[in-house]
Amino acid sequence: MLLIGPIGFLTPWLLAALAALPALWLILRAMPPSPRLVRFPGTRLLLGLRDPHPVARHTPWWLLLLRVLAVAALILGFAGPVWKPAPDQGGQGPLLIVMDAGWAAAPDWPQRQARALRALERAAAAGQPAALLVADGREDGALAFQPAPDLAAQLRALRPASWETRYPPDPAAALAGAPAGLSALWLSDGLDHPGRAEWLAALSARAALTVVPPEGPRQSLELAAGDQPALRLRSTGAAASDVLAIGRDPQGMPRELARLKPGEGAQDRGVTSWPVPIDLPSELRNRITRFEVEGQASAGAVLLADDSLRRRKVALVGDDRAGEGQRLLSPLHYLRRALAPSTDLIEGGMGDVLQAAPDVIVLADQIGLADTPGLREWVEQGGLLIRFAGPRMAASERLAEEPLLPVRLRAGGRDIGGALAWGEPRGVAEFAADGPFAGLAVPADVAVRAQLLAEPAPDLGDRVIARLSDGTPLVTRAALGQGQLVLFHTTANAEWSNLAISGLFVEMLDRLVRSARVSAETPEADPAEQPFWLPELVLDGFGRAAEPGDPVPVAAADFARGPAPAAPAGLYRGGERMVALNAGGPMAPADWPGIRIERAAEAPGLDLRGWLVALAALLLALDALGSAWLARGRRGAMA
Amino acid sequence: MRPAPDQLRAEAEGASAGLPALMLSAERLAAALVAGAHGQRRAGLGEDFWQYRPATAGDTARSIDWRRSARTDAQYVRDREAQVAQSAVIWVSAAAGMEYSGGADRPAKRDRADLLALSLAMALLAAGERVALAGQPPRPGRVQAERMAQALVARAPLPGDEDAPPAEALRPGQRIVLFDDFLGDPQPVLDYLARAAGLGVQGVLMQVLDPDEEGFPWRGAVLFRSGSGALRHDTRDAAGLRMAYLARLAERREALSRAGRSAGWHFGTHDTTAPPSQALLWLWSVLEG
Repeated sequence: MLLIGPIGFLTPWLLAALAALPALWLILRAMPPSPRLVRFPGTRLLLGLRDPHPVARHTPWWLLLLRVLAVAALILGFAGPVWKPAPDQGGQGPLLIVMDAGWAAAPDWPQRQARALRALERAAAAGQPAALLVADGREDGALAFQPAPDLAAQLRALRPASWETRYPPDPAAALAGAPAGLSALWLSDGLDHPGRAEWLAALSARAALTVVPPEGPRQSLELAAGDQPALRLRSTGAAASDVLAIGRDPQGMPRELARLKPGEGAQDRGVTSWPVPIDLPSELRNRITRFEVEGQASAGAVLLADDSLRRRKVALVGDDRAGEGQRLLSPLHYLRRALAPSTDLIEGGMGDVLQAAPDVIVLADQIGLADTPGLREWVEQGGLLIRFAGPRMAASERLAEEPLLPVRLRAGGRDIGGALAWGEPRGVAEFAADGPFAGLAVPADVAVRAQLLAEPAPDLGDRVIARLSDGTPLVTRAALGQGQLVLFHTTANAEWSNLAISGLFVEMLDRLVRSARVSAETPEADPAEQPFWLPELVLDGFGRAAEPGDPVPVAAADFARGPAPAAPAGLYRGGERMVALNAGGPMAPADWPGIRIERAAEAPGLDLRGWLVALAALLLALDALGSAWLARGRRGAMA
Repeated sequence: MRPAPDQLRAEAEGASAGLPALMLSAERLAAALVAGAHGQRRAGLGEDFWQYRPATAGDTARSIDWRRSARTDAQYVRDREAQVAQSAVIWVSAAAGMEYSGGADRPAKRDRADLLALSLAMALLAAGERVALAGQPPRPGRVQAERMAQALVARAPLPGDEDAPPAEALRPGQRIVLFDDFLGDPQPVLDYLARAAGLGVQGVLMQVLDPDEEGFPWRGAVLFRSGSGALRHDTRDAAGLRMAYLARLAERREALSRAGRSAGWHFGTHDTTAPPSQALLWLWSVLEG
């Protein structure tokens, strides 16, 4: 860097071009200006006259000055002028650059790179070796010190990762080969990460350490737990940005679908967090593919939407004529209570609910309704029809011909444990590990007193997804077109069993509803039981989504631990389920007790380049105006 | 923007208000064919009473003034004073170059020429002369001023640089006033003068110029275009051309003046920044003399 008074130049050799300005002056001077066009009735008197002094009239000096000043401003601008550049601190020894490279470092990544490059240049000028520690969890072992210029290319190619910053576990081993007199520059992302304290201790013991904190606040976004879908926005600053919901519009073009406003913020140890309710119509919400914090280009500020976010629209169809006192007898009451927290419910006649295009239709003890025109087509296009048995079904004489059932039913029900029956009420058997209910715990007190029985058939075993303890089917399922038919062989109220008043009922319905609109060929599994997940969409550190060139399967155990070098944030597919691995999460601001901190204000000085280029543009515009003014006679003559 | 006829007329009235009644000199009275307002102090065709004379053989009974004759025994005839037709014809060039004005603070040459022409016409009409624009029959009376104003304003500028006075409309006994910048081809004007001299018609050449055309203030690289754009002259150093241009302009004036003198015409110049009354006074004195 060349210093002239208070101004430093980053690329001083460009200033040599200023020497060409006098030559430019002469060239511009000799250029004839375009002639004025004058309308003159006495032109006939001029015909044949010769110019007595055939020399070009010079460009007006002020125009010339404008042009030369513009060129000079451009040359000075590109020479990288900096007003009062900060003197480079630190010792003159070998340099170690610690780059936090998690998602939190992404928003001001170019500035970090520029700061690190500046330090490298200084080390190169001093002839000192340098080493680069990229804290993205992919480096291990001792740090290699090389000549500083060799590191510049590596530094320029560096990109932030879509997971949290990770330091090598053992600072002592990494610093084993470090030369003496080390000076270290730590470009922090402002957050606390595991291992930071150890590294801080190790570095401050061995080197003159300077820490460069980030400029703006860090923000992260995650899905908040709860029945109502909501996001949680965290920031190390005090101001909350809006959250943009991005998805495809009805034409299939990705665009901003909604802008979510954060609610009341709460501060806790330097981090403010805001709940962001997703208060949107379900049609709109189901189209959302990602949420992002406005103005924060970071993987942590992006939340990819997956199956868990979609709120299903469930239609309840049944006989709800029970009076006030008999509400507890109505099957719809239990269904409503079980489904209302997690789904959008609609109720009405079959024709009405089909108009609303629900994801799931629940029929409680209905017979004959299945003939409704349009219902079969709706199922074949991917709808999930859940039916419950009941006394009315059991009494029907034409039960064998009833359409839209997963299995053929035998007429008349089966009573177990009644006054006139031999057996005891039956419990529910453990769910198969490959079924949709895999992993759900069965309470011991759930008992079924009556059920409808299926006609034996060769494929009956494949269709049963829940059994009673004696092996008879409790829930059966069959695919129809792209949709599914599910039958609970017992009632949705407490008449035939106490299943409806157990927590298991809610969980079973939840699993079923979540599987809606997913191809019914293979049963779904819990994330924990899915052995491998395949990335469909991978985020980079800046939060930009890309398809993975080489999708590496991620073991479920690694997957559960969140984004990591082996499992970058993104959208993963396992079976028919799509699960997003999002980077954002809890944050803790880093503190640097007793360490020299480089403030942004003192760091780079004021960059004058933009101002000078703008000045040159202004001068050129004035030049154009002046030239137009000189040639104004032309317009007058054209008119 | 051409002025409306009313406006032009009002301005012209203002410009000619200070002039005394203008009487054309009556050199060519003998050749006059139509009686005009010029009393010839002898009996002849006219409107005004001149004398009573005794009737002689050859006087018709209709020409005897019976009222006078009743007082005596003789018969008297009422003679009228002889009057002569003297008419002025005014012509204003409509060449494209006449639309030129060197600055926003001065009128176009055409506008000034129109004003001068109409002022002159009104002064002449007020003195009882017959006036017309070239190519139209001269008529007396205030209404003629109206007609002329409308005709002057309604005339569209020509697309070309040249406009010449109509030589075939020359009649003996007319006084001609030509308004032009005389910067075009001089030959038609010289031919016109020759024909006028042959017919014994006298008149005035009035050169109306913009100060730019007299002073040639341009400098630097200039591309000159004539009024219609047909003629161009490109120069890199306009200031250097000034002397040559002024010399040519003086030469042109000299040539016109000489040709005019030999035909009995007068040649005058008028600058659009000068007050119009100055030119009017000069025109008046020339026409009167």
